[in-house]
Amino acid sequence: MSEQDLKHFVPTPPRLPARNEQNLRHRIQKQCFNNIGNSLLTISVLVLIYYVAKSFLDWAVFNAVWDAATRRECLDISPDGACWAGVIDWFNGLIYGRYPDEEQWRVNSGVVMALLWLLPLMSQRIAYRNSILISWITLYPFLGAYMFLGGTFGQDVGIIHMVFTSLAAGYFILLYLNWVLCAAGQSSLPEMVTPLTSKLFRRGQHMTGFLLVWGFLSILCGVVLAQMHLEPVPVDHWGGLFLTLIIASFAITMSIPVGILLALGRRSKLPVIHWLSMMLIELVRAVPLITVLFMAVTLLPIFLPSGAEPDKLSQVLFAVCLFAGAYMAENIRGGLQAIPDGQYEAAQTLGLGYWLTMGLIILPQAMRLMIPNIMTSFISMLKDTTLVSIIGLFDIMLMARNISNDKNWIGLHTEPLALISILFFVMCYGMSQYSLNLEKRLKAHRS
Amino acid sequence: MTLSDPQAPAGKLSRPAIEIDNLNKWFGSYHALRDVSLTVGEQEIMVVCGPSGSGKSTLIRCLNHLEEYQEGRICVFGQELARDQKSDRFIHQTMGMVFQNFNLFPHLTVLQNCTLGLTWLRKKTENEARDIAMGLLERVGIEHLADRFPGQLSGGQQQRVAISRSLAMDPKIMLFDEPTSALDPEMVKEVLDVMVKLAETGMTMVCVTHEMQFARQVADRVVFMQDGEIVEVGPPEQVLLHPQWDRTREFLDHIL
Repeated sequence: MSEQDLKHFVPTPPRLPARNEQNLRHRIQKQCFNNIGNSLLTISVLVLIYYVAKSFLDWAVFNAVWDAATRRECLDISPDGACWAGVIDWFNGLIYGRYPDEEQWRVNSGVVMALLWLLPLMSQRIAYRNSILISWITLYPFLGAYMFLGGTFGQDVGIIHMVFTSLAAGYFILLYLNWVLCAAGQSSLPEMVTPLTSKLFRRGQHMTGFLLVWGFLSILCGVVLAQMHLEPVPVDHWGGLFLTLIIASFAITMSIPVGILLALGRRSKLPVIHWLSMMLIELVRAVPLITVLFMAVTLLPIFLPSGAEPDKLSQVLFAVCLFAGAYMAENIRGGLQAIPDGQYEAAQTLGLGYWLTMGLIILPQAMRLMIPNIMTSFISMLKDTTLVSIIGLFDIMLMARNISNDKNWIGLHTEPLALISILFFVMCYGMSQYSLNLEKRLKAHRS
Repeated sequence: MTLSDPQAPAGKLSRPAIEIDNLNKWFGSYHALRDVSLTVGEQEIMVVCGPSGSGKSTLIRCLNHLEEYQEGRICVFGQELARDQKSDRFIHQTMGMVFQNFNLFPHLTVLQNCTLGLTWLRKKTENEARDIAMGLLERVGIEHLADRFPGQLSGGQQQRVAISRSLAMDPKIMLFDEPTSALDPEMVKEVLDVMVKLAETGMTMVCVTHEMQFARQVADRVVFMQDGEIVEVGPPEQVLLHPQWDRTREFLDHIL
């Protein structure tokens, strides 16, 4: 057949699907009232929702008492309404525990600083976002501890703590100065000193410039901080939501590195590492968190030399970190198993060694796959931290129970628990929404 | 240095790149490679063919240390490979490999796939690595896709990225493990074109492939394997058009 004999193919122009013209009323009619059974079901569910919502709102809002001095007064005003006055009276305690009133600004500013440190991660334009995260994990705890514990440089604050607090403060200021300069269209501080460093060093000018500026700012911060005196607040006085958040955020941030190491250890071909990791994971996972907490508080001091006994919070942090890490290890191992062998082989033929292969190729993919599971772990860790009240840390749960022991508010159980439920719901729902958002963002550019 | 291989075409093989001597490999009790001996000269293009299960993929995976072998020895540019040590720096610097399933890193862009090894292993700056990678992507004709992710590319495009990723490390020898077997027929040609161009630059290549057209066009020698043994080695016109063995004839009748 010659060219002329062939028919010329012209593709049919694309068109949109026919639109469903039904409005909301039609849809409700079709889906909820399409037969007698469904109509009855719809009506009874609506009635049920109405009664539940009405009785809850009556209790929590319409009949509630917001202003009273004692529980008795509450009951006199409205016997079947919520007595929020007690919760309001104790609100400070629920948030800060027994932290002294006049020092509570330190808790607020410490938490704000932690959030501000992470804020640049939201911006896609910031370079070296990983280093910000790593600095937050490694440096911020020193600055936070200084803010919360207080003390004076050289007296109650040890030399190592002093140095790292200064480094953290210096990094924090550098981070924000750079951000401001970047927003103003200027070059960053390390780049500004590059002409100076290029005279001194031939290689790695950017790095030395950064270190130079950081070091300078840190010394400056150290000098300023040394002039200040913060009233020391011992760990025993920490409490409330503040303590809950400290334990939870520590568990969440430490669970990732601990989990990665344990997961890699469990997959290791070296028998000692393999068996040690496996034993640790299985032991911790097979035991309830309360037991792990009790073991940490009672057993840990026995193993340590007398006199070096850490405070109760450190013991709890250690236990929670181990527990969270063991769970995270299994999550991450699940993700590692989903990565096809071809990825390892491709990395190997490029010549990447074990740690580069894991760090650059395998773990980033495994962690993305496991975001829903990892976030579930995070949420359950946040909720599990309320167990520390059992070993006598004044976290938000114990503070809530203390309200009912206050002679003014004897027997006030429901309202504090309701408030805590709302607080936890907001935090956990926020985390879950964030993870959905993260998944969507990461999936956007695959496929 | 002279080659003992009688089938080797004269002139081109000044120096052996790969020498395989009595290679034996078992998977458990399964004897996958049986006394395989073969010499690949520098700048030679060797095509390995044979039915599935004949050990041709296993052979080139042994060359690249992706598989251990139990007996025999392999020398690359005169340096002997360890039998069990899985990661060998010298080998990975000397050889690049292209896989049937591309094995691109799906979480990195095309460009990042190509620059990864340069920045982390060759210690190039980001700009140098970018220039090298863009040059290679241009050579395989997909520089306009540099910022896409592998999942957004067609099979043929992905395989061309995989080739540039290997070439970025500046290997002396390229191994191809059925590079076109996972592709739609229309995309096979674009990958083969890249391989033909690469062959013309004087790269030493060992290709496991069923593309006999490619073999006839660029191969210096064709190896036919069956049941873990080399049945026939020789120039393409000899092995493909006038095979000496009945098994080779049967195989060729099936695929041509």
